[in-house]
Amino acid sequence: MHQNVKKQSVLDLLEAWLPKIIMAPTTLAMIVCMYGFIAWTGALSFTKSRMLPQWDFVGFIQYEKLFANPRWDVAMSNLVVFGVLFIAISLLIGLVLAIFLDQKIRGEGAIRTIYLYPMAVSFVVTGTAWKWILNPGLGIEKMVRDLGFTDFEFRWLVDQEMAIYTIVIAAVWQSSGFVMAMFLAGLRSVDDSLIKAAQIDGASAWQSYWHVILPILRPVFFSAIVILSHIAIKSFDLVQALTGGGPGYASDLPANFMYTFAFNRAQMGIGAASAMVMLFGVLAILVPYLYSELRGSNRG
Amino acid sequence: MGSLTISNVTKTFGSTEVLKGINIDIADGEFLILVGPSGCGKSTLMNTIAGLEEVTTGQLLLAGEDVTERSPKDRDIAMVFQSYALYPTMNVARNISFGLEMRGVPKQERDQRVQEVSTLLQINHLLDRKPSQLSGGQRQRVAMGRALARSPRVYLFDEPLSNLDAKLRVEMRTEIKKLHKRLGTTIVYVTHDQIEAMTLADRIAVMKDGVVQQLGTPNEIYDNPANQFVAGFMGSPPMNFVPCEVNSDGSLAIDTSSHSLSLTIPQSSTLKAQNISRVILGLRPEMLTEPKPERAGDSVMALEMDFDVTEPMGADTIAIGEWNGIEILARLSPEAGLRAGKSTPVQVDLSKVVLFDPESGERIR
Amino acid sequence: MGNSSMSIGRYAIYACLIIFAVLYLMPLYVMITTSLKDIEEIRQGNLLSLPAAPTLYAWAKAWGSACTGSECEGLAPFFFNSIRIVVPAVLISTLIGALNGYVLAKWRFRGSEFLFAALLFGCFIPFQVILLPMARLLATFGLANTVTGLVLVHVIYGVAFTTLFFRNFYVSVPTELVKAAQLDGANFFQIFRHIFLPISLPIFTVTIIWQFTQIWNDFLFGVVYSGQGTQPITVALNNLVNTSVGGKEYNVDMAAALIAALPTLVVYVLAGKYFVRGLTAGAVKG
Repeated sequence: MHQNVKKQSVLDLLEAWLPKIIMAPTTLAMIVCMYGFIAWTGALSFTKSRMLPQWDFVGFIQYEKLFANPRWDVAMSNLVVFGVLFIAISLLIGLVLAIFLDQKIRGEGAIRTIYLYPMAVSFVVTGTAWKWILNPGLGIEKMVRDLGFTDFEFRWLVDQEMAIYTIVIAAVWQSSGFVMAMFLAGLRSVDDSLIKAAQIDGASAWQSYWHVILPILRPVFFSAIVILSHIAIKSFDLVQALTGGGPGYASDLPANFMYTFAFNRAQMGIGAASAMVMLFGVLAILVPYLYSELRGSNRG
Repeated sequence: MGSLTISNVTKTFGSTEVLKGINIDIADGEFLILVGPSGCGKSTLMNTIAGLEEVTTGQLLLAGEDVTERSPKDRDIAMVFQSYALYPTMNVARNISFGLEMRGVPKQERDQRVQEVSTLLQINHLLDRKPSQLSGGQRQRVAMGRALARSPRVYLFDEPLSNLDAKLRVEMRTEIKKLHKRLGTTIVYVTHDQIEAMTLADRIAVMKDGVVQQLGTPNEIYDNPANQFVAGFMGSPPMNFVPCEVNSDGSLAIDTSSHSLSLTIPQSSTLKAQNISRVILGLRPEMLTEPKPERAGDSVMALEMDFDVTEPMGADTIAIGEWNGIEILARLSPEAGLRAGKSTPVQVDLSKVVLFDPESGERIR
Repeated sequence: MGNSSMSIGRYAIYACLIIFAVLYLMPLYVMITTSLKDIEEIRQGNLLSLPAAPTLYAWAKAWGSACTGSECEGLAPFFFNSIRIVVPAVLISTLIGALNGYVLAKWRFRGSEFLFAALLFGCFIPFQVILLPMARLLATFGLANTVTGLVLVHVIYGVAFTTLFFRNFYVSVPTELVKAAQLDGANFFQIFRHIFLPISLPIFTVTIIWQFTQIWNDFLFGVVYSGQGTQPITVALNNLVNTSVGGKEYNVDMAAALIAALPTLVVYVLAGKYFVRGLTAGAVKG
């Protein structure tokens, strides 16, 4: 009798701990591979490490070197230019397409499928395809010239000033369908009776969207901006494939800078510093957003 | 000014005919209620009046003008929705004035109107709040305020009280009735609650399966139902329907579980003359009561019944007995002295009974 | 309001939608037609023209003999590398995510919500901050430049997403079901097997498709953590395109890109709606 009871309580104990046991590996991985690694990289950014980690701390020297580096300057300003254009254009296209698709379109399913397929391919494939399309000499330039505009030039891909804009084009092509899907879902979630009420109140279709429907979609705007910012900051594959960061480093983005310095140039310290700066960039956007979300839902 | 004529309106969705030829003439200032079970077409009819749905065939005339082809905003009607449909991102004041804003009314006039309407509905302390910060009853008032602000020729109410709890519903019912008295504007009101219909309407249109079963005043509908459906739909607790054989002298054969009787009713001579052998007897529960000497008369008959189940409702007690094998409800006073296991004396007032054909459900007069 | 014929407005809308559809399809069209042309035609011809004499030369070369750096074996070995990486990574991360989601949705304990938030937060970090230490970790365990190492990386960083998907899905299962099952004597795993698993097909589909697409298309982890023989196809593709031994063969480049894109495209065409659900589920987060 006594044995049975004891055995049962051990099993019970095990069962009570089971949820925690299941979560344990993931928790461990998270602690080590996310937060632990962030700390490690952070610590590394304060050392003199080059090809191998060297744990002699030298304060902010790596950060100073980073911000004095003209290539980093270019990468950061590229990120701003790219980010702003990418987000703004994707939002605009996504919103307009979503509104149009919301008008009871025949073949909506097929059209949606077409708008979204770019998201299914790798950024490397996208970069490769657009690299060919924008090929100076054989791509769009030649095509337009063949149509008769013999003086047409389209050499952005190899133009120091314009290379970053090719990245915008390819990135918008890949991601605007996703923004469209988000807005379409948002539009569909607006209660039908609100639209009827606006009709009865005398609002035209345009007025209904502007005064009633779009304000309701504000949260979707913010979600889209956060997600697009995230994509922008992490952009690495597309740049590698489309321009390689070139010409020179004219179209470099922070992610490419980090990779080049940390792995190709054996400059771990600066690489780590650049990674930390990227992290702070993401946090700077994420934290206020989450904060306002939580405050909103507590008040709401 | 605000008269509304619905003329031969039909509405088909795909292959389903939802409205099958509606004809209703609503006078200016009348409070008309469309009532019926779900799926009867009352909301569809409401939507066609508003212009939110197009009629398939038929005409809509507002104060004599043909508005059948006009868009909602050109019909000068306002609507209160079941879900209120308040604009979530606007505060109460803007919700109320939005219709005026869309019509280009100048700001000063809009603000004034908002003040008038919100004072009338006692919501002017809520003008800065958003709908999410209001209670259900408050939202309902704002929805009404939005309709009132436009001073339309016709108000449409689509089940406005069904999302409120019972107590609030009774309060708001009275408010709406007072409002109608004050404004005198035509109101078309949809509800599935027949108590609302009885208390609020000037006239009621009872609908079923896309057809108006009967159009009349509450009293007409209650006392003089056109068919069995209308009779059973209106009135709570509902009318009793007892299938009866007709005796050769026109009286009805009733078999309570303990006694047999013959009921001679006002229609008995008609039944005898027309050789009708079977009818359905319609008897309202309040006509089957404890003996009330003050109500004695030709058409009142005393009898005894056994009651199996009683439901005390406070002011009355509903007692359930049996006639001709059918459950029959009686409305007894709580002091009626119900005796379990023994027959209870009751009286039945046959002056208002109605008869229905067992096959068609139509009224036999 | 309603007219039987289309108004100008509606024509404009349809026109706009179709123009955009063409714009979105254009790169795919260009890729396909270019991959079927021979190199002379490419030099003479025009981006949008159809191939005069379609040939599969480029495809054969891309698959079997194109040069990706110092080797010239085509993409075939790397295609199979990707499969060797993707299949275990998807399966493992999905299963772990399912159990995690189950725990977080129905077996909350003190700190579990905090854990979930921390996990979610981790989804958003730019991976640059873990690249260096992870390289050290893999080296320490002898997994540097191996397929196993890459699978491990994908599992670790994929679990956050899969957990999110499953947790959000399982939260909508009524907790009363779990309590009733407990009263009936079922234990943790039995409840999972008999109550949650049977209804989980949709979320498994969404998660597997999402993970498959993410991992197959990954480049960053691939380029950092793989070595000579273990590179996934995205890395090989990039090498192929950037290796110009002799003249550039654009048709081969395009064929190679299509080969790399084909699996995820096929999955998308066949099961697109699940893909969209994954996107919007991840985006409209808890």
